Amino acid sequence: METSITGVNAIAYPYLHIWDWRIATYLFLSGVTAGILVLSAVINFRRSGFTHSEAACCYMGPLMAPFILALGMLFILLDLGRPFNSFWFYLSFQPASPMSWGAWGVGIIIPVSFIYGLAAVPEDKRGILRLWRLIALSARLRPHLRKLAGTNFGLGIFLGIYTGVLLSSFIARPLWNSPVLPVLFMASALSTGAAVIIIVSRDRAIKLFFTKVDIWLIFAEILILALFFYGHYVSTEASRASIMPFFDYRSEFFPYWMAIFLLAILLPVALVLELVDIREDAHKDMSFLTVLRMDLSASMVLLGGFIVRLAVIYAGQLSRLT
Amino acid sequence: MPGYAMVIDQRRCVGCMACIVACKTQNGVPPECFRTRVVEEVDGVFPDLRMELRPELCNHCDSPTCVQNCPTGASYKRDDGIVLVNRMRCVGCKACIAACPYGARYIDPDHGYADKCTFCFERLEEGEEPACVSTCTGRARIFGDLEDPESEVSRLLRGYASYVLLAGAGTKPRVHYIRKFGKPE
Repeated sequence: METSITGVNAIAYPYLHIWDWRIATYLFLSGVTAGILVLSAVINFRRSGFTHSEAACCYMGPLMAPFILALGMLFILLDLGRPFNSFWFYLSFQPASPMSWGAWGVGIIIPVSFIYGLAAVPEDKRGILRLWRLIALSARLRPHLRKLAGTNFGLGIFLGIYTGVLLSSFIARPLWNSPVLPVLFMASALSTGAAVIIIVSRDRAIKLFFTKVDIWLIFAEILILALFFYGHYVSTEASRASIMPFFDYRSEFFPYWMAIFLLAILLPVALVLELVDIREDAHKDMSFLTVLRMDLSASMVLLGGFIVRLAVIYAGQLSRLT
Repeated sequence: MPGYAMVIDQRRCVGCMACIVACKTQNGVPPECFRTRVVEEVDGVFPDLRMELRPELCNHCDSPTCVQNCPTGASYKRDDGIVLVNRMRCVGCKACIAACPYGARYIDPDHGYADKCTFCFERLEEGEEPACVSTCTGRARIFGDLEDPESEVSRLLRGYASYVLLAGAGTKPRVHYIRKFGKPE
């Protein structure tokens, strides 16, 4: 069949192109924030397990979290057609719109995670806050750390999952319209959050702990990614067609199959590197090379997480109902 | 309260594209944007060819995914069935464009808000038909009130087999089609 259309809008034909790397970057950064909040909350919520000095190392992540999320919001603003109208997000609440939930959620998470970040800073490290008002506030908030950690755990889960729910609510885009997508984004959020904590933490015990956590998270991400593709493959014709860019070796789809290739390499390599760490250095005496390997592995996880968001955003717009 | 709908009788469309021109003129649609289009599908192997002409526009769905996904309430559905965009509230997030399975929306390049067919509601208020309907040379576009059993759209939908685009999406479109050909073999 030969089709010609008079009166097409370039934004929707032949393929949709409304969202680009800016949205993918937001999804990635909000995922990282969600992962940091959830994982650091687990550490800070526990009454026992970690000694004071070990738990103290889990404050850099929470301190960074609101700023990472705010940076992500900046990318959203850059993408909006009418950024100066964005106050309308907060003058209405649309319960059927995941984006409305997200806008309100992010508006709440940024200040609450900032307060949590301040509370997480241990007494002997408060010097990094510089401003005496922040130091005083940190001291006042410290007794409420467990409550704040619990709150941020819930908010982090919300933040990690809502972006996937948002995309999966679009029935018009078969690649996104999958219940597995929010789970994939959550797994990716946790693994990238763990990766950031591994990279920013100076304490080797905390690095090793999150490396162990990340191994399971990477396993989960690989499994969910495979299930995501399998779910589409065994679904309707439009769903099956939606994943074809990832398995089509023609030049026009080069970035998509390259994404799969990189994911297939990066995530397992990160996994292997981390496994090697555990096998060799379960004890406290870690060499510089081991620490470097953990950081390298975490960087690969971050790169893999960003590739997942880029691939999902771009390929989703190629897919359409038929 | 009327329930506006459109019936497109594909047997009568000649592909003159006058509807596209009338729409752009009436609504001041930016040069590179369109609120309606005409799809020409040629099927078969030469010399046994057949062509289907299908004018398309916003379907003013009864279960509009664009309205459901709008985060600010800028997209809304009126009681008379027309789906509109409140430009003042639109932030240009493009969620409605992603949500629409029909590719009926665009972003106004000058102002950044989402825009689409309005069924020419200003003309309806003056007792006129939408511009694409009144200009249609073959009377392929028929507009009317589905709540009125004697309206032309109601009679056509009673008398002919009709279909809607992407019925499986569950959006319940208000634009119905009477096909020129039977089902493809």
